Amino acid sequence: MRIKTEDLTRKFRVGSSEITAVNRVNLEVNEAKFIAIVGPSGSGKSTLLSLIGLNDHPTYGKIFIDDTDASLLSGRERRKIRLSRIGFVFQTFNLLPTLTALENVELPMALAGKPQKEQREKAVRLLKNVGLGDRLSHRPRELSIGEMQRVAIARALANDPEVIIADEPTGELDSKTAKEIIGLLFDINRKLKTTVIVATHDEKIVEVADTLCTIGDGKLKVEH
Amino acid sequence: MEDKATRTITMCLRNLFRRRTRTFLCVFGIALATMLIVTIGATTSRYISIIKEMHTYFSGKVVVVTKGAIVIEAFPIGIGNLPQTMAEKVKQNVHEVKNAVPMLFIYNLEGAVEALPTNFTIGIPCGNWSVLVGPTPLKPGGHWPSADSSENEVVVGFSLSDQYNLTAGSKIRIRGYDLAVVGVLDTSSAFLSRSMIMSLELVQEIYGYNMLINLVVVEPMEGVREEELADRIEEKIENIKALTEEERTELSQPLISNIETWTLGIRTALFILSMIFVTTVAMINISERRRDFATLDAIGAPKSFIFKMVITETGLMGLFGGVAGILLGSVAAILLASFYTGIPISLFFPGIFDITPPYLMLQILVSTIAVSCIAGVIPSIAAARMNITEVLRAEY
Repeated sequence: MRIKTEDLTRKFRVGSSEITAVNRVNLEVNEAKFIAIVGPSGSGKSTLLSLIGLNDHPTYGKIFIDDTDASLLSGRERRKIRLSRIGFVFQTFNLLPTLTALENVELPMALAGKPQKEQREKAVRLLKNVGLGDRLSHRPRELSIGEMQRVAIARALANDPEVIIADEPTGELDSKTAKEIIGLLFDINRKLKTTVIVATHDEKIVEVADTLCTIGDGKLKVEH
Repeated sequence: MEDKATRTITMCLRNLFRRRTRTFLCVFGIALATMLIVTIGATTSRYISIIKEMHTYFSGKVVVVTKGAIVIEAFPIGIGNLPQTMAEKVKQNVHEVKNAVPMLFIYNLEGAVEALPTNFTIGIPCGNWSVLVGPTPLKPGGHWPSADSSENEVVVGFSLSDQYNLTAGSKIRIRGYDLAVVGVLDTSSAFLSRSMIMSLELVQEIYGYNMLINLVVVEPMEGVREEELADRIEEKIENIKALTEEERTELSQPLISNIETWTLGIRTALFILSMIFVTTVAMINISERRRDFATLDAIGAPKSFIFKMVITETGLMGLFGGVAGILLGSVAAILLASFYTGIPISLFFPGIFDITPPYLMLQILVSTIAVSCIAGVIPSIAAARMNITEVLRAEY
């Protein structure tokens, strides 16, 4: 999946003032790339990921998904893309607390209407791949922070997405666990040829990224 | 499909269980409201059915009572007696009369709370029993009181025989009079089950109604309409009311309508209270789970999935509250009936479905679930319309 933005801008109204979180961003993301977006807090990283992940609408400017203007897509079509072509990894994992690790991973497949047997087999495999084969029936509160992020990554991979969007995936983790998660995302990118777009402060991620972008006051600059 | 539904229900049950105190309080609130609805519904529907059942007596006949008497269907409940000679007078003065039977109908309130009778005593001239009971048989071994007997003979209803363990041959004592039970009515009629039927003279003696009665049942000659006969009786005899079957029904209709209106009003108010309760709890629940809904939305869950999830949760609370409320309400209706009538609770339990009919249970359960689902609509829409960017940004 190729993603391209043209003058992508997102403004928010806070009280009587207007904040430009993303300001005329032009970015092209090609298939199977590992892209790191770095910038200080409040620089617009998460807003940019939200727009690219079709979770938000730009104030103006355009996003193209494989040459299709996303603004022309209906809510249902955007949802379908989020479900089947994009995987999300959040800083605070956002696992559903009442579901087990296995059920959290099965959920996107269930929403996509895949058969129960296939969901179960694949969820088990994905959790084994992220090193949680012995944690299948544990609820999020019974898992460590690192394990929760692994479950979140397994969930993001459930529907074989073409792109994984990770918003500060190591923000809550200690350095050792963060290193493991970075390794996992890197492996996914290299072995599965899945595009990975990561918003981060983590220098280790910056080191492995194919493309490094910096963002400040909503303006994006491609470094290499 | 089935698997999807099971999974959604499991997920909803877990969500409810996760906030078990709140869920329990909500279910308890619904159960209390449902219990009140069932108790009131069962009690009123029981009395309405008894009143309506009374309508089945003296069909096609005219009932003569004193002017000013309060009548429920065929039976006078207020003060107002007639001389026993009234039956003869009606026969002699009105040619359209085929037969006129005097009766004395007494509500026995002793032992009961307020104005609800524990039983009824009915006096009828010997040999005229069928005017009241129609084809209702006696249990084997029984017979109707005989005019020639030296004993004070009485036939009792099935419920009384059960309560006091009476059979043909038993002795009972009423107001200082020793009576011999000679038969037990084999009937499911609520009215006849609680009746003691004996000769007119005996009832008059026991209750001090010297040559007095309170109704005359008049049968018209063939080809004579009830209305015509009632008019003729009122023309010929002063200070009486001659009521046709239709008029008797009309007399009790306002009472039935009042009971039904009040029941409906109370039921509606309780359902609205339940609805407000469920909506409030569901709104609190969804505001606490904003992140869950935003996550579902972000990973591509259809809005209908989120909508269904919240509705299912409120519906499940309605189901649990409804079932608990119906069970509690059925027991409460029995306790209330026992309290008011003085009939032991144990006698009501085999007939729990007579007190709270299954159709009423089902109707209330379906209504409770429906009300809970409706109460979940606003929270469901709120959950489905949640702005994911705003919710997720809060944590960035």
